Amino acid sequence: MNKKLTTLAAVAALAVAGLAADASAKDFAKGSTVKIATEGAYAPWNLTDSAGNLVGFEVDLAADLCKRMEVECEVVQQAWEGIIPALQAGKYDVIMAGMSITEKRMEVIDFSRAYAQTPAVFVVTDSSPSAGFKVDIERVTLEDVDAGEKAALDAIVKEFKGKTIGVQISTTHENFLREYLGKDATVKTYDTQENLDLDLQAGRVDAALASASYWVPLLSSDKGKGMVMVGPGMTGGPFGNGVGAGIRKDDKSLTAMFDAAINAAIADGTAKKLAVQWFGFDASSK
Amino acid sequence: MAEWVDLLAWGDAGWGDEMIRGAFWTLLLATVAFTLGVAIGSVGAAAKLSYLLPARWLGQGYTTVIRGVPDLLVIYLLFFGGNQAVMAIARGLFGYDGYIELNAFTIGAIALATVSGAYSTEVIRGAVLAVPRGQIEAARACGMSGWLLFRRIMVPQVARYALPGLGNVWQLTLKDTSLISIVGLVEIMRSAGVASGSTQKPFIFYLSAAVLYLALTAGSNRVFGLAELWANRGVRRA
Repeated sequence: MNKKLTTLAAVAALAVAGLAADASAKDFAKGSTVKIATEGAYAPWNLTDSAGNLVGFEVDLAADLCKRMEVECEVVQQAWEGIIPALQAGKYDVIMAGMSITEKRMEVIDFSRAYAQTPAVFVVTDSSPSAGFKVDIERVTLEDVDAGEKAALDAIVKEFKGKTIGVQISTTHENFLREYLGKDATVKTYDTQENLDLDLQAGRVDAALASASYWVPLLSSDKGKGMVMVGPGMTGGPFGNGVGAGIRKDDKSLTAMFDAAINAAIADGTAKKLAVQWFGFDASSK
Repeated sequence: MAEWVDLLAWGDAGWGDEMIRGAFWTLLLATVAFTLGVAIGSVGAAAKLSYLLPARWLGQGYTTVIRGVPDLLVIYLLFFGGNQAVMAIARGLFGYDGYIELNAFTIGAIALATVSGAYSTEVIRGAVLAVPRGQIEAARACGMSGWLLFRRIMVPQVARYALPGLGNVWQLTLKDTSLISIVGLVEIMRSAGVASGSTQKPFIFYLSAAVLYLALTAGSNRVFGLAELWANRGVRRA
């Protein structure tokens, strides 16, 4: 369904491009008014409360970023279908709607730097010898690996040496395991995450790797009894580019302003605080 | 069960009022679009039955193109294209460089009327052709003017033949309103989508949406049934 809609949107966008030029570039600076679109139906990223107000991680983050940029912001609601064509038509200036930065999308719009990325985390049973496995840092970013991150990755390899790690097939998580642990551990793939969870509980695999956005709700429910998250959260590299703010290609000044504001929000811990508040774990970028 | 009551509560605590408001917009949009569509359909049918070749071409082109492409494409073209066209005109003629927002309801009504108009054209054309030629000749022989013939002979019979088909077009239009959620109108499907995405309880809200659509179609079926009875009042049943 979504794919069909996207294709149609692309066709329509092409037709429109022939009709008139895209919205012309605006000069954004302090004091400008910036319109930010979000879907309002993708909890906890962005959602609508039952009184009709837009709330969520991105709505709070947008408010913080706008304060930093010293611009007036208005957050508007737009259905996911058509969210990129309407940006290009000039209906609003920015998309913050849990939109992953992908190469396909970067052909038509620019992105700010990533502000969120759900980390990948290992899970073991609470009776496993790895149940207490911890490293000194909470987050490993797989680009520009520093000394602390290198030590954490080495600790992971050492911890799971000779063990069997389960992962859902054809995921970024499988790519990570093959690349970083392929020589030292046995990687076992599953067609569904549910089958992997059952085998972990039955002891057929020693550990499982998946996104924190999957684990956190599961582990707090009855189905996740006896399972614990261990080690650091991992992002970047094989896990992809994360979620960023979509901005028209012409509006380079606005992209630069968002980059600077996101950097500042990550540096002073605001992004992390908001992520923990909405997701229950740190889903902010580093 | 208690959860359902909470989720569908009226006012700021629940989503009941949002869903009903969505149903209101769905009904209003469908009504406006269908009415406009019947008007377009009458003109379209006249064009397709015209003695003038260009009019026939125009009518034929309209129904072929609109019935041949997905409704969603028509909506996209009118919404994004219409906006761009208006902005290009504003820029060219008045030097205005800002963004001009066309109202989602207006665009939606125009788009759906364009679509339902194409189907109505065919329904009405069929109904006109169903009126026996001899009646028109008889009316002319009695000395009726064109307008009187149209009013006394054509309209009552065309309405009778067209109503079942138009009832179909109405139901299609009613359900097509869900496509307008893409351009920002919060109708039933958009309300249900927002509520289910925000609460992560899709079942209850999409089920409510189905109930609302069924209520609207069942209600309008009744209206069309009554209209058919009225249109058939002069015809005896065997």
